[in-house]
Amino acid sequence: MSEKREISRRTFLNYALMGTGGFLAAGMITPMVRFAIDPMLKATGGGDKVAVGSVDDFGSEPKRVEFKLHTKDGWYESESTLVAWVRKLDDGSILALSPICKHLGCTVDWNISPDHPEQYFCQCHMGRYNIDGQNVIGTPPLKSLDMYETEIKDGKLYLGKIIPNPRPGVEM
Amino acid sequence: MAKHDKDATFVGDSRVPAKRIPNVAPSYSDFPGKSEPFWPNFLLKEWMVAAVGLVGFLVLTVSHESPLTAKANPNDTSFVPLPDWYFLFLYQLLKYPWASGDWVVLGTVIIPGIAFGALLLAPWLDAGPERRAIRRPIASGIMLLSLVGIFYLTWAAMDEHHRNHPSPAGGGSHGAAPAPAEEADPAFKAADIWTAQQSCISCHGNNMEGTAAAPNLQKVGEKYSAEEIAEIIKNGKPPLMPGGMIKDEQAIKELAEYMATLK
Amino acid sequence: MLQKMYDWVDERLNITPMWRDLADHEVPEHVNPAHHFSAFVYCFGGLTFFITVIQILSGMFLTMYYVPDINNAYESVKYLQNEVAFGVIVRGMHHWGASLVIVMMFLHTLRVFFTGSYKKPREMNWVVGMLIFFVMLGLGFTGYLLPWDNTAYFATKVGLEIAQTVPLIGPYAKALLTGGDIVGAQTLARFFAIHVFFLPAALLGLLGAHFIMIRRQGISGPL
Repeated sequence: MSEKREISRRTFLNYALMGTGGFLAAGMITPMVRFAIDPMLKATGGGDKVAVGSVDDFGSEPKRVEFKLHTKDGWYESESTLVAWVRKLDDGSILALSPICKHLGCTVDWNISPDHPEQYFCQCHMGRYNIDGQNVIGTPPLKSLDMYETEIKDGKLYLGKIIPNPRPGVEM
Repeated sequence: MAKHDKDATFVGDSRVPAKRIPNVAPSYSDFPGKSEPFWPNFLLKEWMVAAVGLVGFLVLTVSHESPLTAKANPNDTSFVPLPDWYFLFLYQLLKYPWASGDWVVLGTVIIPGIAFGALLLAPWLDAGPERRAIRRPIASGIMLLSLVGIFYLTWAAMDEHHRNHPSPAGGGSHGAAPAPAEEADPAFKAADIWTAQQSCISCHGNNMEGTAAAPNLQKVGEKYSAEEIAEIIKNGKPPLMPGGMIKDEQAIKELAEYMATLK
Repeated sequence: MLQKMYDWVDERLNITPMWRDLADHEVPEHVNPAHHFSAFVYCFGGLTFFITVIQILSGMFLTMYYVPDINNAYESVKYLQNEVAFGVIVRGMHHWGASLVIVMMFLHTLRVFFTGSYKKPREMNWVVGMLIFFVMLGLGFTGYLLPWDNTAYFATKVGLEIAQTVPLIGPYAKALLTGGDIVGAQTLARFFAIHVFFLPAALLGLLGAHFIMIRRQGISGPL
């Protein structure tokens, strides 16, 4: 009987020790872990979208728009000026292309080469793309022009992140 | 305090015994066969080998400067990334159609998971008492096959990279990438003679600020004379800039003279 | 004088038994390249440790100049490499040593595997060794970003995108490592912390366990 009581006292003290130890560990670690994983739990805004004008401004002909994108990376805030070529597709949806050539990163322009009208043309190495940004096979770029995520709200066009263009290259 | 020896004496009130153990090395004859003491006999040999290795290593550090490419530029769409060489086999694995796209889980989790998991648990997967590699052919065989796979994938990744990008830009050799664009001066305004040249501003910017594809030209006069600039406009400048964009000789001359004044 | 200092410390702390155990432990014939040249394969573990010491020391000294900040990291690396005396050597030791330590560790692992040295009773030491291997790979991955040049930036970006494809935990792991939506200021600060504090702390603990187990069990016998 007495032996049993002694074991139970030791067991009790062991549990108490583990409990206190657990509290000490948890008390130290919890704030630190929450601190470390904060970026993981913060709602990722998915990148803010920027308004670039009314949807009605855009027709089937590509139109160049400039907009400022505000990026916030922790304590660094920066603003960059981006360019998009925007046009309305036949089904009424909006296509906004990035002008960065997929060959070596020069800037393409719409309809500037007299030899290749109605195309995006890159002056650096004669890269060409059609009106939907599809690269013309046989010219240097091997991928179609990237596009911006688009959203239409209250008749206004908003542009978001740059995403790859799923359209394949075309023969022309 | 269970083991209190009444006869033992201690240093002061500490638990260190007062009786000193003599600090003498055992005689070499105490070592059986050809075994030898770690200190100093064996360690001396190890350190001699290490000394030779260290000299070679220091020579390497001096003769092969550590690579440093241009400052990270998230907008540099032309840069071809390449992981450090010891991750190449994993990187290459993900290029194969059966381990990418819909099957990417196979390449990122299942195959590496099985490989590294099996390695971690090797003592239990290969639990027999036999130690000689030749007498446990399954374990040795799997290991040899994995080694062949790793070497092949690493080689394939490097080979593909060098074939597709023969320029050393992504390969890690230093100084190969184009000079980083100088900090653009936002207050700088280029003259009309510049902004009239559509082909120039599409890469170098409306006010010569430069882009990911082309350098800042706001102080180009510090580097080149008017004649040199005219030469570059006519003939281009590797790797990116094409020549012959402006056909009119007079326009080239005026533009070059203007740019040479920018200092 | 030295003898007197030794005796003074020994009287108080009784260090002789520890020292004699370390110094006098037998190095058997079958691991000694002086007797069988093929025994050089047993040197890779020691060489791994030697290079690890170089890595820790050179890394400590590099932080005297290095700044983990996206505006200054690249400039500080460029400065310490080109302007500081012996900067080429110190950064070179850390840069090339990182590759060399992986090579040595790989060879050491193969030696242990093909001599069957991981078998009972040394299973635990094998597992600890593999954990050291993973920690080293982690050090390689996090250290690669720190110079903040294009190679570093894009390799890390690709690496994190690969991590993101892991089902369930992938996106969380990526967010945890990136510290935000993009590879940027927070990523660099995180990678610096992981590379300089978290992983080295784990490495030192594991190395201690690795060595204590080797001293307890001795090296595996001849085949």
